[in-house]
Amino acid sequence: MSKILTGNELLSGATVYLDGHGNWVEDLQIARVFAKDESEALDAALAATKATGRVISLEIEDVEVRGGLVYPHRIRERIRAEGPTAPRFDRQHLDEDSHVSI
Amino acid sequence: MYRYDEFDAAFVNERVAQFSDQVRRRISGELTEDQFRPLRLMNGLYLQLHAYMLRVAVPYGTLNSRQMRMLAHIARKYDRGYGHFTTRQNIQYNWPKLRDVPAILADLASVEMHAIQTSGNCIRNVTTDQFAGAAADEIIDPRPVAEIIRQWSSLHPEFTFLPRKFKIAITGAPNDRAAVKFHDIGLMAQTNGSGEIGWAVYVGGGLGRTPMIAKLINGFVPHEHLLAYLESILRVYNRYGRRDNKYKARIKILVHEEGLENIKGQVEEEFAHIRGGVLTLPQEELDRINTYFAQPAYKDIGVVDIDIEREKIIDSAYGRFLENNTFPHARQGYTSVTISLKPIGGAPGDATADQMDVVADLAEKYSFDELRVSHEQNLVLPHVALTDLRAVYDALVEAELADANAGEITDMITCPGLDYCALANARSIPIAQDISQRFASPERQKEIGKLKIKISGCINACGHHHVGHIGILGVEKKGTELYQITVGGDGSEDAAVGKILGPGFVAEDVPDAIEKLVDAYIEKRESADETFIAAYRRLGDAPFKEALYGNG
Amino acid sequence: MAMASPIVSAEPKHDKLRQLGIIALNGMFDEMDAEGVLRQAVDDLLPGDIAMVSSFGADSAVLLHLVSQVDPNLPVYFLETGKHFAETLDYVQTLKSRLGLANVIALHPDSADLKRFDPDGVLWETDPDSCCHIRKTEPLEKVLAGFGGWVTGRKRFQTAERGVLPHFELTSDDRIKVNPLAYFSNEDIEAYKARYDLPDHPLYQEGYKSIGCAPCTSAVADGEDPRAGRWRGLNKQECGIHFDFNGSIAKPVSQSQLTLFKDGEFKADPWRSWAEGDEASSVRYTHVPVSVFIEHREAFLASPHPIGLQVDPGEKVEEVADDLSRFSSVAINFPAFGDGRGYSSARLLRERYGYEGELRAIGDVLTDQIPFMRRCGINAFVVTNIATRKAIEADALAEVRLYYQPVGASREVPVGTRPFLRRNANYT
Repeated sequence: MSKILTGNELLSGATVYLDGHGNWVEDLQIARVFAKDESEALDAALAATKATGRVISLEIEDVEVRGGLVYPHRIRERIRAEGPTAPRFDRQHLDEDSHVSI
Repeated sequence: MYRYDEFDAAFVNERVAQFSDQVRRRISGELTEDQFRPLRLMNGLYLQLHAYMLRVAVPYGTLNSRQMRMLAHIARKYDRGYGHFTTRQNIQYNWPKLRDVPAILADLASVEMHAIQTSGNCIRNVTTDQFAGAAADEIIDPRPVAEIIRQWSSLHPEFTFLPRKFKIAITGAPNDRAAVKFHDIGLMAQTNGSGEIGWAVYVGGGLGRTPMIAKLINGFVPHEHLLAYLESILRVYNRYGRRDNKYKARIKILVHEEGLENIKGQVEEEFAHIRGGVLTLPQEELDRINTYFAQPAYKDIGVVDIDIEREKIIDSAYGRFLENNTFPHARQGYTSVTISLKPIGGAPGDATADQMDVVADLAEKYSFDELRVSHEQNLVLPHVALTDLRAVYDALVEAELADANAGEITDMITCPGLDYCALANARSIPIAQDISQRFASPERQKEIGKLKIKISGCINACGHHHVGHIGILGVEKKGTELYQITVGGDGSEDAAVGKILGPGFVAEDVPDAIEKLVDAYIEKRESADETFIAAYRRLGDAPFKEALYGNG
Repeated sequence: MAMASPIVSAEPKHDKLRQLGIIALNGMFDEMDAEGVLRQAVDDLLPGDIAMVSSFGADSAVLLHLVSQVDPNLPVYFLETGKHFAETLDYVQTLKSRLGLANVIALHPDSADLKRFDPDGVLWETDPDSCCHIRKTEPLEKVLAGFGGWVTGRKRFQTAERGVLPHFELTSDDRIKVNPLAYFSNEDIEAYKARYDLPDHPLYQEGYKSIGCAPCTSAVADGEDPRAGRWRGLNKQECGIHFDFNGSIAKPVSQSQLTLFKDGEFKADPWRSWAEGDEASSVRYTHVPVSVFIEHREAFLASPHPIGLQVDPGEKVEEVADDLSRFSSVAINFPAFGDGRGYSSARLLRERYGYEGELRAIGDVLTDQIPFMRRCGINAFVVTNIATRKAIEADALAEVRLYYQPVGASREVPVGTRPFLRRNANYT
């Protein structure tokens, strides 16, 4: 099962994903997808992120890539990626000073 | 209503300063998230799915216009122009940023409000009847005692790290509108043999994954000993409540596992030690607090009744509003008006900043500056003169707040569900929206009569589904949302927990399922006067089970 | 991003001490081996870096005799306050020659200070604390910096507050105090004096058991606390110099190994936890778990050693209520800050069972919980969390000092014009 790393940024609370360059970003579609055999890299990224103290509620989520798109297994994750559905609201966004990298 | 004196103001300001410092330390990295989490929770700040959520206490659901305007101001300035009123008579903001929270708390403090103990394993905001101090059926206004409990429980040094959260509800009326039997402690006003008023104390009620109806632990505790009695219960709970499993940590489990008699023995032993001590409530203090809640300066307006049937003919929408959204007032010529936050297709309990301002204006002009939040997620103008009703109604229509559905099938309690909540397993709001659209027609709602639907997005039961006449519980099954339906719950003085009748439904099928239950009820009821819950009690499960799942 | 600032650690001043650890050091000597204690300090721990202060009072002879046995050249400072009994000054000479003390140095108050603050010599009458300050603390401070350690003649029995005095203590400014006579009782002192035929202070037989300056010393009755005659009627028990040689000039960084916060400072902690293999009859300065105490109650009650009690969550203080006076310290364990059972235990001990000794919090003791702990009667904190330590050192505990609900601690006073349920913090 492929995995992504997600959490909420400390200052804004915004949903963020770890991308391939060590940046925590808003867009699920550029999240780094860790293959099954990359669990060491996943653990290292998790530890590095924890050390920053700037991304909270860290979770490892199961995803699959469907037609080139990252598709989380849990409905909860799909809603997190989209924002509230009823009534429809935009997601929370990162502020200028809330970009986190590892 | 209660007004802060210099002590209360200083207390809340110190608390704001304290939390500001904690936020500063968190942002600087001095505090880790593990250390900060319990501190922010004690100040009502959660992390939800998309952002932080700030829960602001509305002590026993009472507000004035200035406070409501500040809630509107906060919604505009720090949030997205709306707030969500909850079953705990509080308000939640869904989009605050961590850095802004100290400023929000300072703004709240400026109008005598706070977010203290709206979360965490401590004594939470005390809740009560939304018609307290106004209702015709009331024995005593519970708000003075609620205020005294609020003060006693604020930052209580011994009870800030309880096994689990602790909720106290209090009602001064025999008709329980505060669901006191589903709280950790429920207090119901009682008159004893000598005509004195005191409190029947219920303990160990709750919803969540193990719903329990509270049990009577003491039939009559006089005002003066109430705090000592509460402290006794809390001490027994703090010492012996389970801490090994958070799902078994509420006092309801302690009472259930140890038995009422055993717990009662321990509480009474503790009470024997501290009774008559420093917590004894002096009559002067009760009198002092009572003066804050003195009856407003009602006028004799000459009009003592409104002919609703006549109004219905002249203006059916207004007539329906009068029929559903007014509640008998203790004072002749006045009524309590429910402002429904359940528009058809809306998110239950949400109000925009503009709507809050309108409600504040109405309170100021027509309700002696008083407002209430109900545990059913509506607002209340508690003291409206009958002669002002039309003006109030017209203003509500203007603000799109005149939904005349109070108590009807579309007046649903609904938790935020998976659209916002980090704990939820399924969405609640879209289900409520679909149901309200299905039953939108006023005629249809009138035909159905009083029926309470309550929807929770997970087993924690913030939407009180266990005590809905029809309850809906969202669960996740294999990556999709599924909804279990219960029937027969009741949060009133006739407390009952609803029963699951069969397998759950996918979201699209929920409105149909509800409609089948409603149709079965209408078909089987003895008359239009027999409510859904009364019919269910008479008929039992069978006809409803058959309606949902057929004959075999 | 770095989360925690690096911890600045001081150059260890007392390597030997660091090696041994103060607790181990305190376990090295038999309680009555005063000479061994002093020899360890003078020869091994602080060679050339230790001195003593003597009042040449009623029982000074014993310690001075010990010094003469171990090192007659050890600097012995005498606070010549200008207010001593003539008999005391005679006694200084008697002991010097009799014991062969070669290095007795008199410390005089600063004459400018005297002129300014006590021109008539009657300051002791109106403000004894300031008098002590000018005549004792200040002159002593001038020589303090020159030594890493001090020998004192303090004894556990002397007053109730000294009930748990160890042989070796680390002060808040990283000095070692050596108390060779810590365990000596009145009888031990008398026996020692008799054995070596030491002369008494001339006033001793007249009923003066603890002798300081003439104006502030009176005789004590038989059976009275020996120090009751000092500052009689003035509600003052310590002159400040024993308590901490240099209390106000603490150097926080250098004391970073001390974890016990009590009476406004981090200080040496003589206590340890009960361990596997401990014997009820012989442990001392040990917090004994409630269950262990109950099991070996008779042995603990018979033991002459100071013992404490450890109350873990879920344990009932009711079960040891009758024996609380046996404990010099009670440790309430908070294994996780979210476990609030200790708050109830603390209140019961203080309010219901009247326990008045040291009540300390151990375990997960964090800055944001300390104010609640204090309100429940806890007066000492074993702090290992670094941020908490910093907050305490900066006197920046985030706390709300106004209270809505009374608890039994007497330091909380009603505030406002309507006092029911309202209290104010009043620690100091």
